[in-house]
Amino acid sequence: MSGAWRWVREHAVMGFGIVAVAYTLIPILVIAIFSFNDPKGKFNFTWEGFTLDHWENAFGIPELTEALGLSLQLAALSTIVATSIGTLLAIGLVRYQFKGRRLANLLIVIPMATPEVVLGASLLSMFVFIGVDRGFNTLWVAHIMFSISFVVVVVRSRLIGFDRSLEEAARDLGATAWTTFRTITLPLLAPGLAAAAMLAFALSLDDFVISNFNSGTTVTFPLFIFGASQRGIPVEVNVLATMLFIVTAIAMGFTVWQQARAEKLAATRPDDDDVDTGLSALVSGQRPVAGEPS
Amino acid sequence: MQTKMSRTTRGLLIATLALSASVLLAACGSDLGGGGNDGDVTTAEATGTVGGELVISQWPFYIDRKTVPEFEQDAGVEVNYIEDVNDNNEIFAKLRPDLQNGESADRSIIVVTDWMAKKMYDLGYLQNLDKDAIPAVDENLVDSLASPSIDPDRSYTVPWQSGMTGLVVNTAEAPDVTSINDIFDPKYKGKVTVLTELRDTVPLVMKADGVDPTKATTQEWLDAINKLNDAVKSGQIRKLTGNDYTDDLARGDAVVTIGWSGDAIQLQADNSDINFVMPDTGCILWSDNMVIPVGAPNPDAAYAFMDYVYDPANQSQIAQYNSYITPVKGVQDIFQKDAPDLAESELIFPTDEFTGDCTTQTDPPADGEQEVEDAWQQLISGG
Amino acid sequence: MKRRRFTPYALMSPGLLWLLVFFAVPMFFMAIVALEEGNIDTGFTLTYQWSNFSDALSSFDTQFLRSFRFSIIATLLCLLIAYPLAYAIAFKAGRWKNLMLFAVVAPFFTTYLIRTLAWQTILTDDGQIADVARFFGFIPEGGKLLDTDFSVIMGITYNFLPFMVLPIYASLEQLDGRLIEAAKDLYSSSRSAFLKVTLPLTAPGIIAGTLLTFIPAFGDYVNATFLGGPNQAMIGNVIQDQFLRTQNYPTASALSFMVMAVILVIVMIYIKFAGSESLMGEEVAP
Repeated sequence: MSGAWRWVREHAVMGFGIVAVAYTLIPILVIAIFSFNDPKGKFNFTWEGFTLDHWENAFGIPELTEALGLSLQLAALSTIVATSIGTLLAIGLVRYQFKGRRLANLLIVIPMATPEVVLGASLLSMFVFIGVDRGFNTLWVAHIMFSISFVVVVVRSRLIGFDRSLEEAARDLGATAWTTFRTITLPLLAPGLAAAAMLAFALSLDDFVISNFNSGTTVTFPLFIFGASQRGIPVEVNVLATMLFIVTAIAMGFTVWQQARAEKLAATRPDDDDVDTGLSALVSGQRPVAGEPS
Repeated sequence: MQTKMSRTTRGLLIATLALSASVLLAACGSDLGGGGNDGDVTTAEATGTVGGELVISQWPFYIDRKTVPEFEQDAGVEVNYIEDVNDNNEIFAKLRPDLQNGESADRSIIVVTDWMAKKMYDLGYLQNLDKDAIPAVDENLVDSLASPSIDPDRSYTVPWQSGMTGLVVNTAEAPDVTSINDIFDPKYKGKVTVLTELRDTVPLVMKADGVDPTKATTQEWLDAINKLNDAVKSGQIRKLTGNDYTDDLARGDAVVTIGWSGDAIQLQADNSDINFVMPDTGCILWSDNMVIPVGAPNPDAAYAFMDYVYDPANQSQIAQYNSYITPVKGVQDIFQKDAPDLAESELIFPTDEFTGDCTTQTDPPADGEQEVEDAWQQLISGG
Repeated sequence: MKRRRFTPYALMSPGLLWLLVFFAVPMFFMAIVALEEGNIDTGFTLTYQWSNFSDALSSFDTQFLRSFRFSIIATLLCLLIAYPLAYAIAFKAGRWKNLMLFAVVAPFFTTYLIRTLAWQTILTDDGQIADVARFFGFIPEGGKLLDTDFSVIMGITYNFLPFMVLPIYASLEQLDGRLIEAAKDLYSSSRSAFLKVTLPLTAPGIIAGTLLTFIPAFGDYVNATFLGGPNQAMIGNVIQDQFLRTQNYPTASALSFMVMAVILVIVMIYIKFAGSESLMGEEVAP
């Protein structure tokens, strides 16, 4: 086997990985690049010139800024509620014996298996039937609904790998259930909660289909974009989208960095050289594993 | 010790109970359909005090950037100008649940095309207008629009703009387009779009084949739809669009489209080769109308707005922007002074000669309407 | 003692109640609507018209099959792209691991609509990608990339790729490296080691990823709306149209249930295949 061929084979997988990563990033780059475009007319499809105007004036379109603000409020509200009640639900599910477990599981899993179009449409049917006005209230109710299942799944996977011995040690030392929960369980659960909260936030901010059915006159950020796609998307949309991306990236980086520190501090296996930290640990939701295959 | 069997049975029992409960609830009245008031149509009375908030649902690209702020200053009204009308059926579906209950989803003015205005009126979703509150409209409405068949006394509609549906073409890429039948020319395969609006696209195709839409039979409507369907299946027609045909033209993904007269001028800023081409067999004429829905929260502000845009000076500002046919008298004179090159525009002030072969927008025959709508629906959904 | 018995219910009730009221109950309402008859102008009445289901299926069979075709192809493409990518991140990336993972998840940070619309700009007829495709003969001279089956499938693949990558990555991460080394010692080639050990061990991740990709893809309509024409309309487009444009609620509801039925059948096959523990998670005794 020639040296060149071997080099290719060894690096083929990684090469492919890099190409795949480039593929995922292309649209984001396009969006960012076109946020600096200077179109003469309404449409932002062809490159016509570089300008910082739209960045300086990012919040210059009142309806757009309002829609973004509304989406952020909605996402915050939905995240707080969904993460809280989802976490409680996950704890109950994992740590206790009770009747109706199968039913509960079904109720949690089926929404994830339901296409958004069905979720949105069925909610609309119910709201119309009862006579509830569609607007901000129907929106946050819907957003919390579809976020709960995802929160449960994330937190539950974290709970399953949880080392109870620390909690037992605390109880042995005389701590009450509540103190144990507050000082041991919750902090150790925190990365999972953070991941679940981020997921809930992203799901809410991004939601188009369910909001389309249940928003009434209210315009969220994705709904504004949908309407604008019919009449020419202003450059400010690209600017705000890029801003959102940067902010979320920083937030995620921060969370991951925090978790890396926590993992390093909490690493209970002293012979563990390769502590799996950062994003990867967050994603796999597992405690650090020993070694990596070569 | 519970067996698996009893658990399943219990689950089934609970499910059945829940289902029956909902069925009972539902039997108490399904409010998803049905018409609005069976009673008399109310008139939105003007109280004389103008203020508060005015919510308008409007088509996009229909107004310049200055008119609304200037009106807000002038009348002391806060305007929420929502450009959410992309298709008559869509806005109807969106507002219907509220309109059925006598509410207007906060809107005091909605702008819809003639046939939809009539449909909504017949269902009891609109109010009659207090003519005393809109003197400028009465005075300045052009004679040709004074008495349309859908509303002979103009009791519930005030035209916003009129327009022509015809060909909107990239004349650099497609210089010899003159007829609707050019959309079926293989030369332009995959670069053609048509409108989702049944009453625009199909009558144009019928006219190009020598059929008069106002006298056409159901079968002739269906034949035209079939012709279009073949073109869709073969890939000749790329897409059916609402307002978004302008996206494809701007991008260069479409070169020959069925579109609306006013859009062409606005598109020239993005692509100077885009022009409205009057088909040799004529266009379709329509009006979009301001209507006041039932339960409108602020009719006074609505009347103020209607009156404001019927002042020729204010209207000329709008007309200069959107290049549709203006329904207000006296605007052409203003253009002679302020915008002389537009004063002769056939799009804004069409001569009878220009629109000689045009037909006013018309519905399919009443007894075949459902069939035609279903066939059209299948075409749009790619079935 | 009594407190302990009620604790799980107390903990779970807010979440379960929310799901019950805003998920389960609307489903029942939709079930009732699916059995109604009438039209939007004259009103709907409950007549247990089961034919709504068969009528809807026959009217829109093209779109159903098309949705199957698109989502299956997209899922396979996702798998083919995601597995090597996840493998690269897990084992070959070294210090680039976190960065690559970030890149995979990054699309989530831009609104779904915008990143789909970006593909309109990228695949436009006059754009560079289309030019390259024409140059290499992938499409004919006057051909297009946008508003085709290709663009819609590609959009779906792109948008749901993270859902495939993350579960596969998670299961690769959990692999005990010593097993792989042992396999390599036993088998002469790393390819056998991969096929006989790594791949089967990551089966849960593959299955989870496949489900998480196929399910939303099947009911999606955003990609078809922006990247396709009428010949690419999926069943999700039909449902949206029937609900929001033609307001044919019984047909729309019947279609929605059939979409759910298809998905539930597939999920049930998965449960049978992989055991419900992997779906629901282990039940941990206190």
